[in-house]
Amino acid sequence: MSTQIVNIQPLSQPVSLGVEPATFSPEVEAEIDAHLAKYPVMRSAILPLMFIVQRERGYLDPPGVLYLANRLKLRVTDIWEVATFYSMIHTSPVGKYHIQICRTLSCKIRGAGKITEYCSQKLGIKPGETTADGRFTLSEVECLGSCGTAPMMQINFDYHEDLTPQKIDQVLEALP
Amino acid sequence: MRIEAIGCEPLQLRRVHLENSHTLDVYRRNGGYEAIQKVLNGMSPDDVINEVKKSALRGRGGAGFPTGMKWSFVPKDSPKPKYVVCNADESEPGTFKDRYLMERDPHMLIEGMLIAAYALGSKTTYIYTRGEYKYLIDIMDVAIAEAREAGLVGNNILGTNFSCEVFTHTGAGAYICGEETALLSSLEGLRGHPRMKPPFPAVSGLYACPTVVNNVETLTAVPDIIKMGGEAYQKLGTEKSGGTKLWSVSGHVNSPGVYELPMGYDDMEKFIMEDCHGMLGGKKLKAVIPGGSSVYIMRADQIIGKDVRMDYEGLVAAGSSVGSGGFIVMDETVDIFESTKNLTEFYKHESCGWCTPCREGTDWLVKVFKRIESGGGRPEDAQLLLDLCDNIEGKSFCPLGDAAAWPIQSAIKRFPEDFRPRISTDGDTIHTDKRITGIDVD
Amino acid sequence: MSTETVKVTINGKDFQVPKGARLIDVCREKGFDIPSFCYYADLALQASCRMCLVRIEKMPKLQTSCTITCTDGMIVTTQSEEIEKAQRGMTEFLLANHPLDCPVCDRGGECELQEMTFDWGGLEERFTEKKNYYAERYLSPMVANDPQRCILCKRCTRVCDEWMGEDAIEAGGRGVNTVIGTYLGWLDCSQCGNCIEVCPTGTLLDATYRHQTRPWELAQNITTCNFCSDGCQMSLGSRGGEVMRSVARDRYVNGINGEFLCVKGRFAHPFINHEARIRTPMIRYKKGGKLIPATWDEAIRHVAERLDKVADEHGRNSIGVIGSPRLTNEALHVLHKFATELVGTENYTTTDLLTLKSFFQNLGAPLATHRDIRYAKTIIQIGGDPSELQPLTGRAIRQAVRNGGSTFILVNSVPIRLREQAKIFLHVRPGTEDAVVLALSDKSNTTRAARKTGLESDAIDATREALANSTGDVVVLFGHELSGDAQAIIAQWSQVFAAEGRRVLFHPLPFYNNSIGAHDMGMMEMPTSPAKILAAAGAEIRALYMAGSFLPEHLSANKDALSKLDFLVVQELFENETTAAADVVLPAASYAEQDGTFTNNSGLVQRVRQSIPPVHQSKPDWTIVSQLAKELGLDFGYEMSASSVFLDIAKNVPAYEGLRYPLLKDETNPVQVKHQIGVTDVSAAMETVLNAITSFPDEGEKINATPDVGTELFRLGMLTDKVPQFHLLASGNPRPETTAISPLYQITVSRESADLVHR
Ligand SMILES: Cc1cc2nc3c(=O)[nH]c(=O)nc-3n(C[C@H](O)[C@H](O)[C@H](O)COP(=O)(O)O)c2cc1C
Ligand code: SF4
Ligand code: FES
Repeated sequence: MSTQIVNIQPLSQPVSLGVEPATFSPEVEAEIDAHLAKYPVMRSAILPLMFIVQRERGYLDPPGVLYLANRLKLRVTDIWEVATFYSMIHTSPVGKYHIQICRTLSCKIRGAGKITEYCSQKLGIKPGETTADGRFTLSEVECLGSCGTAPMMQINFDYHEDLTPQKIDQVLEALP
Repeated sequence: MRIEAIGCEPLQLRRVHLENSHTLDVYRRNGGYEAIQKVLNGMSPDDVINEVKKSALRGRGGAGFPTGMKWSFVPKDSPKPKYVVCNADESEPGTFKDRYLMERDPHMLIEGMLIAAYALGSKTTYIYTRGEYKYLIDIMDVAIAEAREAGLVGNNILGTNFSCEVFTHTGAGAYICGEETALLSSLEGLRGHPRMKPPFPAVSGLYACPTVVNNVETLTAVPDIIKMGGEAYQKLGTEKSGGTKLWSVSGHVNSPGVYELPMGYDDMEKFIMEDCHGMLGGKKLKAVIPGGSSVYIMRADQIIGKDVRMDYEGLVAAGSSVGSGGFIVMDETVDIFESTKNLTEFYKHESCGWCTPCREGTDWLVKVFKRIESGGGRPEDAQLLLDLCDNIEGKSFCPLGDAAAWPIQSAIKRFPEDFRPRISTDGDTIHTDKRITGIDVD
Repeated sequence: MSTETVKVTINGKDFQVPKGARLIDVCREKGFDIPSFCYYADLALQASCRMCLVRIEKMPKLQTSCTITCTDGMIVTTQSEEIEKAQRGMTEFLLANHPLDCPVCDRGGECELQEMTFDWGGLEERFTEKKNYYAERYLSPMVANDPQRCILCKRCTRVCDEWMGEDAIEAGGRGVNTVIGTYLGWLDCSQCGNCIEVCPTGTLLDATYRHQTRPWELAQNITTCNFCSDGCQMSLGSRGGEVMRSVARDRYVNGINGEFLCVKGRFAHPFINHEARIRTPMIRYKKGGKLIPATWDEAIRHVAERLDKVADEHGRNSIGVIGSPRLTNEALHVLHKFATELVGTENYTTTDLLTLKSFFQNLGAPLATHRDIRYAKTIIQIGGDPSELQPLTGRAIRQAVRNGGSTFILVNSVPIRLREQAKIFLHVRPGTEDAVVLALSDKSNTTRAARKTGLESDAIDATREALANSTGDVVVLFGHELSGDAQAIIAQWSQVFAAEGRRVLFHPLPFYNNSIGAHDMGMMEMPTSPAKILAAAGAEIRALYMAGSFLPEHLSANKDALSKLDFLVVQELFENETTAAADVVLPAASYAEQDGTFTNNSGLVQRVRQSIPPVHQSKPDWTIVSQLAKELGLDFGYEMSASSVFLDIAKNVPAYEGLRYPLLKDETNPVQVKHQIGVTDVSAAMETVLNAITSFPDEGEKINATPDVGTELFRLGMLTDKVPQFHLLASGNPRPETTAISPLYQITVSRESADLVHR
């Protein structure tokens, strides 16, 4: 029926955020539109979009959060509550390469502990830390579904399995 | 890593070893999309549901709920849109079967989803994949695009008036989003908290519309059920648990991997010692967690010489359950106290924080484990751990709470020798009150 | 809920209860106590605390009674060893990471967790591990937060969303690391503080009351808020003659607002004991001179003489009498009596901005209470902005839509926040609301109205149909945008839209806590107005007697009017523009210092009760006026009791007939006054409105920006101006450098321009 029937406009955002929303290239915008097109409800696209913002900006920084809030017609609090629930969404910076070593049972009994130790020494950081040059972040994570090829680690999105110290050396050397 | 069918013709694993098994071309040349063809040539939705009922297929995600029955709960007359959602969140420790199904045979999943969608009158389906499996999402997207090209996804599939969309969706690192209602919250863009049941998803699920959530392996079983007929499929397994089941084997065996066994495969010992080529380095078997971390742990002597039948009834009888089929084998070097602590830390990390017992309970449990580990154990700790588990089990909002309790309850009862020296001064007494575990384990 | 009943058996006793009734409510009503934290009536179900467990036959595990609706033959056990163990277990879990710092917690003595723990007794502490730690912090100038104490019942996040529609506070993090908070830790909202109110523990705290007293040291006194016209019931907590806090917590009060208050009702009370309160009567003996402190006797005598003189020289009508709509009914009644019976002038009025005379003259149906709004099927609001000006009404609308599935229709020139709840939003050009009223009453005006308002005819028709086909009560709300004639037309909509099983009820949206009372006491009956009186100052009007002050907008319109007066008397709390021109200033007592009544926008007369003795030498306005009357030779005979004034009101004001203070004792069921209701002929009014709108232009700009939260709430008035926190809000609630200490210690607001100085 007629245009007078209310359609909710973007909600007024807090003034105290004090930043401008992030902007993205037409290609990225198109990618975002494609995700939005999948769902009858915009909010459903929140996780895919968070990954895109993270890919483009390294992590979910305030401009990114404000962008998402405006794009999805949500409040920044809504973005925040979701972002902080999921372990793969980062609201603070992470290294260029995020080394995630599985610590759960199947990997543990096949020597995950040693692998973590080795990486820790090699990079000179403890799990949860980032190297000074911001190149590596080391994390221990829960089961990544590589139990049959334990021990394993995931660097950003890439799986590296049946790990040995030698293999770790090769993998890390090979990184651009 | 071995991927093999044992004791039956490979069904789910039929194509995994073929070159380019992930392509539409290979899939079609090997019987792919014949089932949907058959369905669209004159099977009614009810026919499909009946075949699935006859197949005695039980949900492979962990709950083991009869799939046909679940499908029949969806109200036919509802004016609302209906949704089929594939649960590819596979985060249960020790479970990695769905991963290889999607990696090697994505079209089998698509076909399964199309058939389910047809049976349930759904035009939109989603595959909810855990965020860490990004490469699988890319594989699925390519496969879906291929299928759309070939008129197998989208409008007027195979020239009929059946139209259906298949979309991928990504999780972002949360085990709880494998729980079907939490998955739906997450798919709606909310925090991944479980929702109250009833109403069950079949009545009010995604966007408050009728929704069926099924595991990958459940859906990939459907094309074969249609092709060979429900009865034939059921006969591959036992009366109550039809067909074949994928077991993700990890831990101290010579050949870990994904094994397809007929339901009711006769002997767990044989499976470990022969099919998986025995224990790594010839060490002694100590324990097995047969169904992913969320089931009771089994002692070697509950397996050796006991002909444990590998299906839902058999494993319950043996004192555990099938769960997700995450089969974790542990040798004599493993300290069950430590492995239990490891799993408890997992549940603490993955607790969504919604309800009191799970949120606070898992935190408390981990703290006790850590204290004991660092030498601060006390005789009453076993009692304390069991009592805390008892206050979580059956009181939590969703089954994750129960799942956190079971490993501890069974570990303390079945491997007291690994707890005793840590928590009792005289190395002997550990106070555990049999009544409170509520489980009969030996 | 259906009238059909079912049989449930609780602990062996049988009961007939309404089908679909909630088990936890039923059990409690039948006297079986059930502990709970997350369950809160009329909020979304949560079932997360797991305290309310019961055993229901034929169900596998213990069930949460907050999620169970009663079905026939249900057999329930609420007390057993098993259940007690479970509930003790939950309490033990909640206490695990909860710091046991009750002695230094502002909630100590009012904390539900504390109460629960003590009630159970014998809770040995088995948790000997290290507790998780979070630092205390400020979320805003009003809200302090100690995350460690949180039990995640999420009442706060739900009231924020469901009552306020703001979603400003949410749960972040996961598992045991879940914390209630906001993005970047700063709370940007209307600062209603309802999250504090509903918090069962000391997690969310009133930052203005932090570490001031322990609750049991406070004298708790039920009274009525003196800000907007909703008339929330509140409990003022005072100690040693000082008001320390204001809450609606249901252990103290149980009024129309439940546990709801808004930022003003909750946080503006510090004005009461503010050092700037006028301390003594003051006389300015010669124009341009200073105000000199005087005794009450002197002052009263002085005023009497001067008024006599003016009356003799210029006649009775040369004296104007003006009352503020913030005064009690008692004060306004006495002022009215003073103006009519003693002075005998025709120039008396109030400083209200909305005159309700013609609305009440044509009233065709009773006023709607907030409960009526909550359960109405169709709600139409024309003009106004309740979220900012009558917050409780805003909440009632939101809950009606969300929980009651009612249709909300908004007619407004501004896309106010409530449009989010509206099914139909008629976004009209500024000043054209009257046209919609006309078109809704009389179809033949639709196209014209559409043209003038910038709407489409079918939207107006759709609205008319929605009203005409409502399956239940229709509530009509309207704001000050409507002309008197349009109000008259609306007041007769009961003739147009009422039908079998469908009442039409009215809910005007005036600005002040006693606007309705001011009308009822007769202070709006004269054709004059503050503007007219100011215009006549120095000419027909020579002297003014004011209880209250002119609004800034009045004076700015007519700058030096006051100086033209021979004689000006002002009763006030604080010095201001008006007192600056006064010849005599008399210190008035605030609502916290006197007894009386306010009549809210539902026509409910509610008690105002004295919490503290009048500060300094101030006196209740009605006392001052009756003393002056006595001095002028007319004894109203009220002695010193407000109740005798009210008795006089009951005798003289028909709508208040038969009312007495004892009948108004119980705030849980307030009394609605009986405004006269009838069928009147509004054809004349329709003519006038028709002519008026024909002269409207056919095009014009619309307002497209939604006003920020707080546009009205945070506007500094004479009272809120006395509360530093409100200056921060008025300046955009800036985030301080650190949230560890109160922003008040980090930011100062320079008084003149409310712009900020960061320390
Ligand atoms: C804590 C928890 C985690 C779960 N994780 C998964 C999972 O990762 N994948 C899955 O398919 N089902 C999982 N489930 C089971 C689902 O809730 C649901 O039963 C299943 O997806 C239904 O599909 P099915 O009937 O085909 O098994 C989980 C359940 C719980 C309680
Ligand atoms: S809503 Fe009105 S009456 Fe209620 S507290 Fe706020 S200002 Fe006072
Ligand atoms: S009140 Fe029922 S779970 Fe909290």
